[in-house]
Amino acid sequence: MKNRLLAIAPSVLAVALAMLLGFVVVALTKGVSEAAGAFASMFAGAFGEPSRVDELGVFAFLRPWGESATKATLLTLTGLSVAVAFRVGLFNIGAQGQLVVGALVAALAGAHLALPAGLHAVVALGLAAVAGGAWASLAAWLKVRRGVHEVISTIMLNWVALRLVEGWLVPGPARAQVEGNNSINGTDQVLPGAELPNLFGESSRLNAGFLLAVGVALALLFFLQRSVRGFEWKVAGLNPHAAKAAGVPLERTVVQAMAVAGACAGLAGAVLVLGTEHRYPGTISAPWGFDGIAMALLGQGHPLGVLASAVWFGALRAGGTRLQLAGIHKSFPELIQGVALVLVAARAAWERLLARAVRRA
Amino acid sequence: MLEFFHTLLFSTLEAAPPLVFAAVGASLCERAGVVNVGVEGMMRAGAFAAAAAALVMPTPLGVVVGALAGASLAAVHGLLCIRLRSDQVVSGMALNLVMLALGTFLLEAVFHSSSGSTPITQLSRLSLGSIDAVPLLGALFNHSALTYLAVLAPLLAHWALKHTRWGLRVRAVGEQPQAVAAVGIPVGTLRFSAVLLSGALAGVGGAVLSTATLDHFEHHMPSGLGFMAVAAMVFGRWTPLGAAGAATFFALADSLRIGLASSAPSLAQLVPGGVQLALPYALTLLVLAVQGQRGGAPAALGQSFDLERR
Repeated sequence: MKNRLLAIAPSVLAVALAMLLGFVVVALTKGVSEAAGAFASMFAGAFGEPSRVDELGVFAFLRPWGESATKATLLTLTGLSVAVAFRVGLFNIGAQGQLVVGALVAALAGAHLALPAGLHAVVALGLAAVAGGAWASLAAWLKVRRGVHEVISTIMLNWVALRLVEGWLVPGPARAQVEGNNSINGTDQVLPGAELPNLFGESSRLNAGFLLAVGVALALLFFLQRSVRGFEWKVAGLNPHAAKAAGVPLERTVVQAMAVAGACAGLAGAVLVLGTEHRYPGTISAPWGFDGIAMALLGQGHPLGVLASAVWFGALRAGGTRLQLAGIHKSFPELIQGVALVLVAARAAWERLLARAVRRA
Repeated sequence: MLEFFHTLLFSTLEAAPPLVFAAVGASLCERAGVVNVGVEGMMRAGAFAAAAAALVMPTPLGVVVGALAGASLAAVHGLLCIRLRSDQVVSGMALNLVMLALGTFLLEAVFHSSSGSTPITQLSRLSLGSIDAVPLLGALFNHSALTYLAVLAPLLAHWALKHTRWGLRVRAVGEQPQAVAAVGIPVGTLRFSAVLLSGALAGVGGAVLSTATLDHFEHHMPSGLGFMAVAAMVFGRWTPLGAAGAATFFALADSLRIGLASSAPSLAQLVPGGVQLALPYALTLLVLAVQGQRGGAPAALGQSFDLERR
């Protein structure tokens, strides 16, 4: 138990310190009481407002939590994408591109296939996962066959996907066909039968995508910790030479892991489209795929760690919109997230300090 | 036709400098064995700092502040990668994410705007009066001094890497850091110097956007140019001249796309704009796929140096 606590300590400390730094920055620019007020409203927007229970009833909690979980869903899926690739020692910077590809496929499948409700959503999700996986497999193929480092290939694939989808397909061939109306950006609306159902009806945007994300996290947890294949991946990531000597097919491992990573990111795109946007919008403005890198590292590559950091930062982001009232841009939680990531990157220093403290205790 | 090429040359010389500075900087950093995927963030730091500084000082000094801002971010990268031996890709991406959010935060906090900063005096342009109108030759003028510096920078970087003691050592720490350490040269300090220089160049690249291309910082700057600079560096086989050449080629392709869209729309429609925009990245991938292996990357690239390890 003590070991587990020690293992998550660097991440928790990094997040706490990043929050503190964020507070200090706001306090320096706006004053201490304003900073306290801004943080209070951010937490209220993230976790609910006990003081307004009389007025709003259960919605005082439902609405903020719903919004938090909606954001956490995407962060979880892209975080898992990066984390899975990490397991075999690959750095998947391409989650953003895989997400974009998945989102487009989900939007097209959701709008243009004729299938019974429910099944339609499942098929659209499945196709998006396959598309994301296929896109990521390009990077795996380049690595295995041509020795191209996956960091470079996934960066390039991100931009190829983004330019092709948002620069050509969405404003061009895939654009919504509405008679006499050219003002609509993005693709056709997905059919109602392909939409992911809302969990709390009209009161929140939270949809079944959240359950899917949690399900994927648990499935990956089981796969990585309990299955033979999962063990092979772990060995391949920790020591490729030992893995090869033990008969683990390294190349197959790389391709499979990258495909699963791409599928997770593709699912994130599908959930974004089928759950909240209901079409591929003109642009996907948020860098969910890059945020996934932060989630994977803060969660230390563990599916539950990814889930935990995604829920925390999803909540802060949901609360971030409230900061606008205090004259702070709503991307402030992303700044906290970035600083936390820098601090986690400096883990070596943390671990040295912690080890010293533990030895003394 | 002549007019078309005149415009093409002129707009290429306008579009290339940010990419050239950043790509040359990235090549120096990676030659020393330190991966730099944080170029995007360093450019953003430079663009913001230059635009903000130019409000209270002459714009050329603002550009220097932009360089310092890029170098400061690079100093964090160096601290993480060299001193603390963090993963270099993680560090770079972390700095990108920080700068993405910090730029927006500062824009709101300092300029109370979510779109752009207060306009500044743009860098003055070198004009030779009537020569500016001469076809083709005139396209070489009426640019800011940074355009001409962008021609010099890769040459200087090439010379420094190939013909100075510092350059020889930087190349050596990128290939065989253990050997460098064995003869008593401090590996970390050398790498740090290359990382700082790279950050300063990326900062200048960003400053071009906010002081020469436009007269203010826009919230989305540099909108992916940093990653394109990384692509150019890879395309240019991790050398300053190659990186600058690839960067110029990408800028030329982009200018051609814009030029064709206005002068020959029917021709431009043959290949959709989005496909053209994807070409630099797709080409880089293709070249890597054909070359195979590491495509000329330094041998010790991405490995943190530990004196006690072999």
